Amino acid sequence: MEVKVVLCEILLPLLLLCLHAWRFVDGVQFEVSSRTTKCVAEEIQSDVLVVGDYKIVSSSEENLRITIKVTSPYGKQLHHQENVASGQFAFTSKESGNFMACFWLQNAPPNANVNLALDWKTGVGAKDWASIAKKDKLEGMELELRKLEEAVESIHHEMLYLRDREAEMRDLNEVTNSRVAWFGIMSLLVCLGVAGWQLWHLKSFFERKKLL
Amino acid sequence: MRIWALLLGIAATALSVCLRTADGLTMTVHKVECVYEEVEYDGDMVYGNFVVQDYEIFWGSDHPGIELVVTGPQGNKVHSSTSKEAEKFEFRAPRRGLYKFCFHNPALAPEDLTFYIHVGHIPGIQDLAQDENLKPVNVKIAQLAEALEAVSAEIRYMQNRDKRHRSTNESTQRRLIAYTVAESVMLLGASIGQVYLIQQLFSKRIGYNRV
Repeated sequence: MEVKVVLCEILLPLLLLCLHAWRFVDGVQFEVSSRTTKCVAEEIQSDVLVVGDYKIVSSSEENLRITIKVTSPYGKQLHHQENVASGQFAFTSKESGNFMACFWLQNAPPNANVNLALDWKTGVGAKDWASIAKKDKLEGMELELRKLEEAVESIHHEMLYLRDREAEMRDLNEVTNSRVAWFGIMSLLVCLGVAGWQLWHLKSFFERKKLL
Repeated sequence: MRIWALLLGIAATALSVCLRTADGLTMTVHKVECVYEEVEYDGDMVYGNFVVQDYEIFWGSDHPGIELVVTGPQGNKVHSSTSKEAEKFEFRAPRRGLYKFCFHNPALAPEDLTFYIHVGHIPGIQDLAQDENLKPVNVKIAQLAEALEAVSAEIRYMQNRDKRHRSTNESTQRRLIAYTVAESVMLLGASIGQVYLIQQLFSKRIGYNRV
């Protein structure tokens, strides 16, 4: 009985670790060449948890290392690592905007390239579900339903954000519309005013020169 | 033994019904940019969208658009589509493996592109038969998760399109103000110049006559 309990205690974390390692294969992969910087960005709202895992999946030569820099929309550096083959970063966004992660090869010969896998999770996907499950003692289906509940909430937030953006755009369009009308009338008035001034000025000039 | 089975059940359920990660990122496309996605099972549904955020185009009809070509793990072309503005795509992956999504930009100016790719898996009837811990309710939960992911994808698509339309509208307003001011200044300048030129012409002629 004791041996079985010990086995379960060792195997469950191992299984969860395998789970995590298996999920690590997910995520988008792209190439980084030796002479270019590859930057990916995402528009993220404030107060959102962002977790990123990156690792070199395949490379054209041995011992290629990359440098990564993650910056906030105002240029503040959130994560900076040089000469690594893999790593991870996590932060909570303080402001909303474009968060960018840039990768480039360090000290590499020309024509070298690597395939980099970046697993970039925000919001619901970034939460540590394993520890939440352990803390609240949730099992299989309950955990999945809790995940779905959080996903629905985040969808609701995104819809509200979209609605606000649409309201802003409508305001912008109405301002543009009224400005078109005003500037058109103003242009016409300027044109007419200038024509009137021209006539008056030339008339008085010719009368002075005794030509009229 | 029961704890063992329960743990295996949890692991199996979690493994098969996990919310898959979806990837939505913005990239700058110079000539060709390729992105790879791993498809875990045969017959998985791959869907996504891409929105061209062009900030540099002067005339709207200038740009030929960005072309997306999807190649399978054996090198066969699975899907292709071209779009000037935004496009959604969806296909069923015939084989598991690494799929390559390439965005081609035939124009000279680099373009910003926001794309979103999602690989969804729903356990099918064979998985139900093979794994005794997988119940039909798990399949329903997986379908629900996929449906929610599809809704989330649509919202992202609309948000990216809204970003693009917003930049067009702001550019419209800037152009309006700039062109109105420039037009007024040039009109004033041209008319004052006309008046003084005419004055000079007539002054010269009279001067000529006196001589």
